[in-house]
Amino acid sequence: MEPAITVEGLRKSFGHREVLHGIDFRVQAGTVFGVIGPNGAGKTTTMRCLLDIIRPNAGTLRVLGQDPRRGGPGLRRRIGYLPGELALEARVTGRRLLEHYAAVSGPVRPGRIDELAERLNLDLDRHTRKLSKGNKQKLGLIQAFMHEPELLVLDEPTSGLDPLVQQEFLTMLQEVRDRGQTVFLSSHVLSEVQQAADEVAILRDGRIVTIATVDALRESAVRHLRLTANGITADDAGALLGRVPGVGGVEVLAKGSGVKLTAVLEGSIGPLVQALAGLQLTDLVLEEPDLEESVLRLYGNNGNGRRGNGSRRREPQEEGSSHA
Amino acid sequence: MRSSTMPLFRRAFVDSWRSTLAWAAGLAGAILLYLPLYPSIGGSVQMQEMINALPPEMTKALNYDQIASGPGYTQATVFGLIGFLLMTIATVSWGAAAVGGDEESGQLELTLAHGVTRVQLVLERALAMCLRVVLLAVLVFVLILALNDSAHLAIDSMHLFGAAVEFAGLALLSGTAALFVGALSGRKSYGLGAGAAVGVLGYVFNAVGRQSPDLDWLLDFSPYHWAYGNSPVANGADWASAGWLWGISAALVLLSSLALQRRDVGS
Repeated sequence: MEPAITVEGLRKSFGHREVLHGIDFRVQAGTVFGVIGPNGAGKTTTMRCLLDIIRPNAGTLRVLGQDPRRGGPGLRRRIGYLPGELALEARVTGRRLLEHYAAVSGPVRPGRIDELAERLNLDLDRHTRKLSKGNKQKLGLIQAFMHEPELLVLDEPTSGLDPLVQQEFLTMLQEVRDRGQTVFLSSHVLSEVQQAADEVAILRDGRIVTIATVDALRESAVRHLRLTANGITADDAGALLGRVPGVGGVEVLAKGSGVKLTAVLEGSIGPLVQALAGLQLTDLVLEEPDLEESVLRLYGNNGNGRRGNGSRRREPQEEGSSHA
Repeated sequence: MRSSTMPLFRRAFVDSWRSTLAWAAGLAGAILLYLPLYPSIGGSVQMQEMINALPPEMTKALNYDQIASGPGYTQATVFGLIGFLLMTIATVSWGAAAVGGDEESGQLELTLAHGVTRVQLVLERALAMCLRVVLLAVLVFVLILALNDSAHLAIDSMHLFGAAVEFAGLALLSGTAALFVGALSGRKSYGLGAGAAVGVLGYVFNAVGRQSPDLDWLLDFSPYHWAYGNSPVANGADWASAGWLWGISAALVLLSSLALQRRDVGS
């Protein structure tokens, strides 16, 4: 089956400044593909090229089997697009605006618009320019989803949405994937994407740093470890953990007759569990892999090693922690 | 393919009804204010004496040299000044907003991501602007005709029709210039500047060019003079000049669509 999106050697310059330096990726049909990167990495530019809003300087693009430059309205009707900077300043109600886009890109199943508005909790009878940022974003999502396009291209879809609506949006993503639709979405934070995406590309300064499945990212990601144990000195505990492959950033505090220890683990947990087996553990927390942190490292220094001994620890996420 | 035809045209036209209505009210107000005063101002002996006392350069610049006749008065006040001003402001703002303004506000990107072509977008929006201009010109025509007897204007209705065609064409030229520069640059302000320049320079070239035979070459560059040089309310339209006004406007619309077709949007 042909990929929904194929991008090869995509380059784009604005004036003398090249913002995309030859990007390659494929999005398989029926999957959710996320592109993550800091602001200015080239996510929006890439998406605009797919929609023929801007034209590449070099490279080959195939979207749903067609060149976006030649696909025309017929191709764009098969795509739902949410722009990154959604501007809806018109003096029309949300409903009228959606009806307009339905007339342009339809057909839209009767009742579909109201169904989506209800799910996202949006009042369609208010003037669009009076809507809050979050509500405008909902309107943008509805216009992208309403005609059930084969491909959804969503630039920062969750920006401005409150957590409840974000959750509903993730459910909508699952549903469209289950129906065989393809989703290409961007974000500057991985946590938004990791629940929904099958594959993630990390984009930095107009280059793809890595493309990986979320599972693969998870395996390479760091986990934070906290434990307390009795009957061992701080020195011994530090030495014991220090010998385990993948463990770093060990910090030990003497606590009563035992120790309190924190560390980070990168890679497989097997050796760690073996090393811990001999300890008299009173508490052990091995957190969910922190993808955010591994992505930040990829942004920051192209993945050449971890930061110095826990010098910049993120707040541990209690949610999803696994107590062993 | 689709059940609804020309959705962009319908949206551009229908959603701007407030603006169209406001300009219509402005034009109607100006006409209803000026024309009923003709018997007491323009046609009066005192007025003519006053005009005669003015420097001839001034009366020529203001086109007040024929203000003592009903058609001349209507030409100078409604078509030549207040109507021209209102219509030009209206069309320039519509033209600049149609592509440049829409792009600057970020909304064009979303529309172009849907099932439309850029050429279609420019043509449908230009058509919406054109229809609004025609409606306003029809309003002006009908109102003047309605006041013709009561205000003792003695205007020939065919001549009035010709003047309305020139009036619409002149406004459309400024509007399509604004559209073109907006589509070329993606900037509303550039479009506004270009449209205003066409209107203002046309007016100034006419006013200056009429001062002396040495300067009358300026008249060739004045769309205002193309439209009103032969006083169409009194003498009927110069159809060739009307053809130029409408023809160049049409060409500017086509150029606008080509300009938008060829470039990146919103970058």
